[in-house]
Amino acid sequence: MLSTIIGKEIHNQILSFRFLVTALLLIIVIPATVLVLTNDYVRQLDDYSRRQVEVERYLERYAHFNRLGNIIEPSQPPVPLMTLVRGLSADTGLDSFDNDPLPVVFPLLDLTFIVVILFSLAGIVFSYDSVCGEREDGTLKLMLANGVPRAKILLGKIVGGTATLLIPFLIATLLSLFIILLNPRVAWKGADFGALALILLGTIVYLALFAVLGTLISARHRSSASSIMTSLFVWVVMVLVIPNLSPYAASFFRPAPSQIKVNREIFRLTQDERDILGNRLAKEKTAVVLKEYSVLAGVERMSEEDVKARILKDAAFAAAYELYGKADQAGWDEANARQSALAEVLQKDLERREKAQTKLAVGLSLASPLADFTYLATDLTNTGMRNQSHFVDLSRRWGETFGKYQDRRMEEMKKANPTADVWNIAADVHDMPRFRYTEEPLAARLKGVLAPLAVLLIMTLGLFVAAFVSFLRYDPR
Amino acid sequence: MIGTIAKKEIVNNLLSYKFFIVILLASVLIFTSLFVMARDYKARLADYQINKPAAGEAIAVLPPNPLSILAKGLDESMARSIGIGVTGFDVQSGQKSGNVIYAFFPAPDFVYIVKLVMSLVALLFGFDQISREKEDGTLKLALSNSVSRSALLAGKWLGNFFSLAVPFTIVTCLGIALVGLDPAIRLSAGHLGRMAWLVALSLVYIALFLSLGFLVSALTQRSASSLVVLLLLWAGLVFVLPNLGTLAARQIVKVPSTKALSEKRQQIWTSEILKTYTKEGKWREGTWNDRILAINRESNRLEEDYRRQADRLVRLSKTINRISPAAGFVYAATDIAGTGIGEDSRLKEDIIRHKNRIVDDIIGNKRPFPAFTYRYRSLGRVLAEGSLIDIAWLLAAALIVFGVGAAALRRYDVR
Repeated sequence: MLSTIIGKEIHNQILSFRFLVTALLLIIVIPATVLVLTNDYVRQLDDYSRRQVEVERYLERYAHFNRLGNIIEPSQPPVPLMTLVRGLSADTGLDSFDNDPLPVVFPLLDLTFIVVILFSLAGIVFSYDSVCGEREDGTLKLMLANGVPRAKILLGKIVGGTATLLIPFLIATLLSLFIILLNPRVAWKGADFGALALILLGTIVYLALFAVLGTLISARHRSSASSIMTSLFVWVVMVLVIPNLSPYAASFFRPAPSQIKVNREIFRLTQDERDILGNRLAKEKTAVVLKEYSVLAGVERMSEEDVKARILKDAAFAAAYELYGKADQAGWDEANARQSALAEVLQKDLERREKAQTKLAVGLSLASPLADFTYLATDLTNTGMRNQSHFVDLSRRWGETFGKYQDRRMEEMKKANPTADVWNIAADVHDMPRFRYTEEPLAARLKGVLAPLAVLLIMTLGLFVAAFVSFLRYDPR
Repeated sequence: MIGTIAKKEIVNNLLSYKFFIVILLASVLIFTSLFVMARDYKARLADYQINKPAAGEAIAVLPPNPLSILAKGLDESMARSIGIGVTGFDVQSGQKSGNVIYAFFPAPDFVYIVKLVMSLVALLFGFDQISREKEDGTLKLALSNSVSRSALLAGKWLGNFFSLAVPFTIVTCLGIALVGLDPAIRLSAGHLGRMAWLVALSLVYIALFLSLGFLVSALTQRSASSLVVLLLLWAGLVFVLPNLGTLAARQIVKVPSTKALSEKRQQIWTSEILKTYTKEGKWREGTWNDRILAINRESNRLEEDYRRQADRLVRLSKTINRISPAAGFVYAATDIAGTGIGEDSRLKEDIIRHKNRIVDDIIGNKRPFPAFTYRYRSLGRVLAEGSLIDIAWLLAAALIVFGVGAAALRRYDVR
């Protein structure tokens, strides 16, 4: 019986005008987007390799350790799945002077965007009249008079509606895959296909969620005209409002101090205040030495040359002066350590609060299926939050290796030329460790997306139960 | 007669479930958006107070623009603190960097609400105007009286436009008045004037989508099909076209990435600085000024190249995107608010000129450095430099769509 209802539902939908329009839109928009994204990926790939070549050429000609750090900063190459999903990879570059204004004004279109906006809208459009529309047509009575259980009708409608929408989506995805795989510059690996399969799974759940939501609202209304109003109202709130408001709401409930303010405070602690403290501590510690060694009398007022001359002449002075220098240094070291500890407390506090705020923002946004799917798709394709911290991790590890290399290399240079300033002479760094970005394995990514996937599933299930209860109480007359 | 029809429409709307839902949604969203964006503005203002350069410091920083509460646009980028040194710019971006979720979703400002939600609402007011009356059988009745089809359409359009525009304007003005009551937010007469332009622009945009709703309603026999067409058309016009247009423009105009540019800058100044050292790593006296000039010359040349390409890209993507009224609306709104692409690129040019002055001062050993000042373009100039075209295009589109709708109604089978 269930399969008959599903079959009837699919048959009905496929012959409908809305299916024709939606299918056409999806089959045009998705491959067109993928075509543009694939070309853009190739462009980014070229840009990335050009930049790498520039850096290598630079290293050959100008490498010297003092300024090397600015040149060889790790950078993220484009990943093959960027032919489908863009995530956080948009190059707005707010921290460089020439930031790109275009993605700020209009965010980039990608598969995630199409699924979260067009698909949810289509899900609603296909289901808003599934119950009340049949009541208006008078067919609901007839169906129930045949002794078909309500649960089966409901399930059949939802499965049928979801399946119908999946047909054009799968066709569009297949066309897109052709476009991607036919491009000789794009090399997808096994994990990329795995990620795509998981995204498709997420899409099915996402679509089912909106089909269930539309059915629930339909089962709460007598007329399809009011059902569509409520459906669109809920859609706007879930898709266009909750995700965008969530970071702002999080900053309201879990405020974090502004980075600029904290940086200014840290600067004050480790510069101005450190100088005052350092002067005082150095004075206190040197005073002890001065008291003990009368030979040092008047040393604070002596010029550097006089001190040098006196050290050469007077051995007792030299010994005492060394102690004096050590006491002075100890004072400054203590001041540095104390102020750095204070600054670190501030920095840690800022990081802790920012983390808490981000966590709350994520938590709040999970209430929106759009955000759930966005996190799922971006994390699976290595263009999301997970990849950002993965990249930071890789960079840190590379930084440590490079630090060791630099120490060893400078040691060698010092040995070869003891008088040279090894920071500022040309260095041969052809064998230095290069930063290599590797994608996080699919299994690890999958673990990361379990939470948004679970939220989507639970929401779908909860809405289904609500739809079922509403439908049980529905008056079919 | 038009007046009577309009009055009937307004009364109809006031009593409908649709009106209740729509006005509730619009009011809640506009108020929330204004509150949230005002808070964001105040946080950035507090940052500015900390960042404000002391007299003689070589830092270019603008206070955040109060109009960014309505149209955030590029204000985040324009209000960055940009330190100027011999080796280039030292940029400190705002407080957003800590919470990555901001980067996922666009800011929910007034322009965002109008662009997405109000356009949808306008379509919902228009989608069933002809087809539903036909389904109900009232279209026959109305037209059997001596009322012309164009008068019927005009009356219906006016009635629906007013039932939408009046509450929208009232809610927006109330929201702005509440924001204005906050002592931390100082709004000048100029700001209020620009806000009035923004509201007027929004009304034109809403009128366009209402006309579109009427047109599709007059082309379809059933209101259900009219709705499906309109929703998908809306998604295409508002989401797909403008977002795809930028990407498509990038295929045509090749611009290096901002990363490539900033890496190149680093390479230029480090290689030039290296020239001030001898082979043994000793400092070469007397060559510093030449190096500074060389760094400045090279990075200005780089910048000019990049700007030329980037300007072409912006122009092309604007032209492509203008097919979508949503893009025209966003361009005009952000330009009027002073947070648009045009203002941002003018500001950058000014900062580069200021940097050149400071580099001259460093070489000439002149202190203190001059302060950086920037004057936003006047409203007249903004309008003359492109916004008027956007507004005219929106108006013309609204009129054309309405005209086609009237023609379609003439051929409509009312039975």
